[in-house]
Amino acid sequence: MLKKSPFRMLFNRAMNPMERLLTVVIIAYVAFVSIRNPLFFGPQALFDILSSGAGLMILALGVLIVLISGGIDVSFAAIAVVASYTAVLLARALETDSLLFILFVSIGLGAVLGSINAIIVHFYKLPTLIVTLATASVFHGIMAITLGMKTFTQTDVPESMITFGRWYVWSIEAEDGSRTSLSGYVVITGFVMLVTWFILYRTRMGRSVFAVGSSEEAAKRIGINIFGTRLFVYSYVGMLSGLMGVMYWSRLYYINPDILYGFVELSIIAAVVIGGAKLTGGEGTILGALLGLFVYQLFSNTLVYLGLSPAWSQLFFGSVLLTMLVIIYYRQRQANKKALVFSTM
Amino acid sequence: MLRVWKFVSRDREFGSLVATTVVVTGVLYIAVGGRMFSSLGISSMAIQIAEFGFLALGMGLAMLMGGIDLSVAAAAGLAGLMGAMVMSGSIIPITETNHMLIVTLGVVATLGTGMLTGAINGFLIAKVSVPPILATLGTMIFFTGVGMAVTGGNSVGIEVPEFSALFAGTKVSVFPLMFLVLVVVFAVVAFLLNKTVTGRSVYLFGENEVALRFSGVRTERTVMMTYLLIGLLMGFAALLIIARANSMRIGYGEGYLLQAILVVVLAGFNPFGGKGRISSLFVGLILLQLLATSITAFGLTPYHRNLMFGLILLIVMGINFAVNRTSRAKKLMPGVAAAPTTEAIILAERDEHIRQ
Repeated sequence: MLKKSPFRMLFNRAMNPMERLLTVVIIAYVAFVSIRNPLFFGPQALFDILSSGAGLMILALGVLIVLISGGIDVSFAAIAVVASYTAVLLARALETDSLLFILFVSIGLGAVLGSINAIIVHFYKLPTLIVTLATASVFHGIMAITLGMKTFTQTDVPESMITFGRWYVWSIEAEDGSRTSLSGYVVITGFVMLVTWFILYRTRMGRSVFAVGSSEEAAKRIGINIFGTRLFVYSYVGMLSGLMGVMYWSRLYYINPDILYGFVELSIIAAVVIGGAKLTGGEGTILGALLGLFVYQLFSNTLVYLGLSPAWSQLFFGSVLLTMLVIIYYRQRQANKKALVFSTM
Repeated sequence: MLRVWKFVSRDREFGSLVATTVVVTGVLYIAVGGRMFSSLGISSMAIQIAEFGFLALGMGLAMLMGGIDLSVAAAAGLAGLMGAMVMSGSIIPITETNHMLIVTLGVVATLGTGMLTGAINGFLIAKVSVPPILATLGTMIFFTGVGMAVTGGNSVGIEVPEFSALFAGTKVSVFPLMFLVLVVVFAVVAFLLNKTVTGRSVYLFGENEVALRFSGVRTERTVMMTYLLIGLLMGFAALLIIARANSMRIGYGEGYLLQAILVVVLAGFNPFGGKGRISSLFVGLILLQLLATSITAFGLTPYHRNLMFGLILLIVMGINFAVNRTSRAKKLMPGVAAAPTTEAIILAERDEHIRQ
């Protein structure tokens, strides 16, 4: 018998209840669909989920780190659009076609926009949801008015971005000659996950993020620089968004500043929340966010294998979300009752 | 006149809101001219205020309790969809003679679905203790999902013309019927909040939930009642939405979420709960509608509108913050939250009763 479970050897901790539940949901769903439609259990579906989910996972990591710090950010999609769109326009104006330049500008601009969020959130002491809702429409509005809302089709998208979007790490050729490929984005996402893990668990800044999220007052009293921590958190989210924006357009070969912003924010927050991150801060794991996003991707990409239209995906995801919320918070409610804790917050 | 002045000057924020609205109206009257304030202009603004006002009132009620309701637009959308489905004749076939019956059933279905959405939110928040922001995020996705699954994303048309004529076409002088309904509903909600025990508990819940529970108020019941009311309001919003468009499609009105939060904060509601007045909300609605209409009148794009709304939201929150900080400094209470404590409110209310 194993002394330690493989999970414990890999992560050096026990699996938390939410992660366990999500794993059960994923296994049950995959098993059910595979029985109904054996085509599902091939590389195609998995590659689809991973390739299209890689960019979203980067956003989810940003959401996770904000939730851990005790805030909630809905401006990340707007930042992704604004930063990457500006970067592309700048590259076209300077007639450079360098992916590095575009990435650099986009990530840098993302950091700037994120730090604006941090400054407003910190000095106004207001609910971060409302602040970022407002800044999102301000950022997007300023971009729309000053730069316009022109869309770029494949011929106008910089060549280097298209090459970037067609970067594959693994291609499988089927017998009939059709290819299914895994996007190289998974490597980038894996790297970003590693960096985020390192920051959160192995640096002083990361521990401050947890401390501020658990109790701002306590963090202040042990000498943590609250503003510095917030500035880091929101500009890190901005940088991740800037990166994701460039990745997103590159894979579509199409740039339209009217999509993305206003469509994905709440679903990604929901995905991270079912992974066990608490809105009250101080709690949340990268694995949980990954599993949560995987469930979201499963429902948005694979309902066709069941013969259902994609219109059903929100119903499935919403039901799982509500069920998970009921389980998490009913448990906590019972525990609070036992411990005579009356405050719900 | 003196009475009006007393009512306005009672509260500094309310006064400044009314002053801003009057100034904006004056400036727009000079800049845009009578076109905007013709009887046609006023009635079209009134119907837009009505459509959006119910959503804003729902959001305001949620914020009074220190929560937020992200599901307002989705709930109204689902309620409208159910009403439209009944009135499309796909459930009960429409014959020559049963038009009024179908309309009645449609209204019942809309309001009933609205209340059901409120009941689900209320159950999650009161009985399972899910934080309002998460509960309503979940139900937002769920309600949209139900609507999408039922219709496949297609729009559902209403086949009984009487419905639209009744709810969108009826006018009392320049004001559409639903606008007057909105005014009555605002008055009723204001009365409930200020003069009934449950209403006062809503404010106190936002102020200090634990203290309220320890004073012997059944807080769970208060939460449940409030969300049921919000659901009913979403039903009213849905009636107007489907009456105006004569059809319903899920996803309609999602852009209203930012606007609803904006108008509630603009009206001086405290997002942490416990503070906010229905009369301010009504004035805020008028102000916001004036601005939105003027943007169309000047030929600007929706991006300009969103930018302006976002900026106003930030500026208003900044002003509120600055005002609160100075009043806190005046009271020489550094570090103590500016909002009055629960005991202070209870004492002030007792004093007011004694005076009366």
